[in-house]
Amino acid sequence: MTVAAFSLDLRRSRTLVTWLAVITAAYAGFISVFYTNVVENAAQFEQLLEAYPKELLAAFGIGEGSFADPGIFLTGYIYNFLWPLVAAIVAIAVATRVAGDAGRGFLDVVLSTRLSRTAHLCGSIGSQLVAIVVVAAAMFAGIYLGDLLIAPDFPETRVALSILHSVAFGAAIAGPATLLAVILLDRGRAAGIAAGVLVVMYLFNVVAALAPDVDWIATVSAFHYFDLRRLLGDGTYPLTDSLLLGAVAIAGWAAALVAFRRRDLAA
Amino acid sequence: MPSVIEAAGLTKSYGSRRGIDGVTFAVDEGEVFGFLGPNGAGKTTTIRTLLGLLRPTDGSASIFGLDVWADAPRLHERLSYVGSDPAYLGELTAGRQLDDICRLRRLPKGIWRPIAERLELDPSVQIRKLSRGNRQKVGVVQAFMGDAPLIVLDEPSTGLDPLMQREFLALVSEVRAAGRTVFLSSHNLPEVERSCDRVGIIRDGRLIDISTVHALLAGHWRSVNLVLAEPAPPGTFDLANVQVVSASARDIHLMIEGDVNPLIRRIAQLDVRDIAVTTPDIEDIFLRFYEHDGEPDQ
Repeated sequence: MTVAAFSLDLRRSRTLVTWLAVITAAYAGFISVFYTNVVENAAQFEQLLEAYPKELLAAFGIGEGSFADPGIFLTGYIYNFLWPLVAAIVAIAVATRVAGDAGRGFLDVVLSTRLSRTAHLCGSIGSQLVAIVVVAAAMFAGIYLGDLLIAPDFPETRVALSILHSVAFGAAIAGPATLLAVILLDRGRAAGIAAGVLVVMYLFNVVAALAPDVDWIATVSAFHYFDLRRLLGDGTYPLTDSLLLGAVAIAGWAAALVAFRRRDLAA
Repeated sequence: MPSVIEAAGLTKSYGSRRGIDGVTFAVDEGEVFGFLGPNGAGKTTTIRTLLGLLRPTDGSASIFGLDVWADAPRLHERLSYVGSDPAYLGELTAGRQLDDICRLRRLPKGIWRPIAERLELDPSVQIRKLSRGNRQKVGVVQAFMGDAPLIVLDEPSTGLDPLMQREFLALVSEVRAAGRTVFLSSHNLPEVERSCDRVGIIRDGRLIDISTVHALLAGHWRSVNLVLAEPAPPGTFDLANVQVVSASARDIHLMIEGDVNPLIRRIAQLDVRDIAVTTPDIEDIFLRFYEHDGEPDQ
């Protein structure tokens, strides 16, 4: 039954995921193509960066280092900018679908069959994961294609590993968003709260980068655990951060399953 | 005969909003049970509670002996349900949606085709492009496909044209003939009259009456309009259960309660040009229940 629910949910995500994957791949590829140009003009870019306000650089996760460094380049233009947006859109859209289905009455149609609530939500969680993986893979494909076209010498293995961590970040959004959707059974509110919390977390991360006195607030931000500079720079995989993001995702999904089994589906 | 559905003091409240209160009834195997009430009376709340979608605030209910809340997925293996204006996925075709539901109910793909053909439903059209009546046909097809021993219908014929309503009633008759049980929520009295064995009436969340359809109708007024060739002799309609509402030379409007045979014998003695007998609609019956309770009409 979970497989039936999964395939139905996945089919419903098809259009959204396809378009997001195309846009993500196109953007990542487009940006990657310019890397050679950045390396050739590294001195001017560094001069330009010095002119930028520290707050703006912090907002894009750019600290010490040169844009000629592929880690700094990819982090600043893709991982800290494109991926949080895309991951939030896909994770929140797919995770809150259960609330939308409750509101419109479609849950009554499927849950009056042999499909149990647990199987239904497991199918939804499976499709959330697939959606996040597909869009993350499209991001990798875009970077890889850019690499092939211009040969800018990106560390492909590290970029591929960064996709794993990117998926963990997306899942860490999807898990709690699923829980919110199940608790509220109101898609608009669940999506709004999830997006609002992400914005606040993003601001916490920026403030922590600018004000060392309160840098502890970054620890409650998901963005703090999504830093790929070391992985792309020296190949050190952020295993602890990945596990932590994964644990948040699993906790959110597990709590959502428990809540969904017990809760009343009053609209 | 064993009961398929049993509800005992079933209560559901939504905080300050009323839901249903102390609903008690039983539906026997092979019976077509009508559940009548105006909009907002608690019909859908009762059905959603019976389906395990809502958790009862108090009381209990079972279907095939299984608790409706604790054993919902197991009891769903043995029932088929469709609500009024079911919320299907607009982007899918009717056929694709029905196949998806077949898969969830472990029915063979395409099992719905014969019923879809009877209802003249085009399965290749996207649901969002279907009219209200055609969307409702998808619901009726969904309810009657397969051979679930219990079919739960929540205002299933809303939006169907008269021909399709007749086909729907034929489907109900076939299901009853096969010994399957039907729980039919409706506010359409003629539909209930034609298809149901017994009727429960719900008002303001409370079940106020359960009776056979015959008893329900016999206990309520019907309107009889006559057009006569000549004026009726004085005293023609002086019967205990007949009230003359208006009478001109040849047009007579009567109200009759209970047994119609004495009135028919009197009418048979007249030269009748036209006759129309109107059953009371659900609103009339509810007004009567209000009157009997001594409560104000609202």
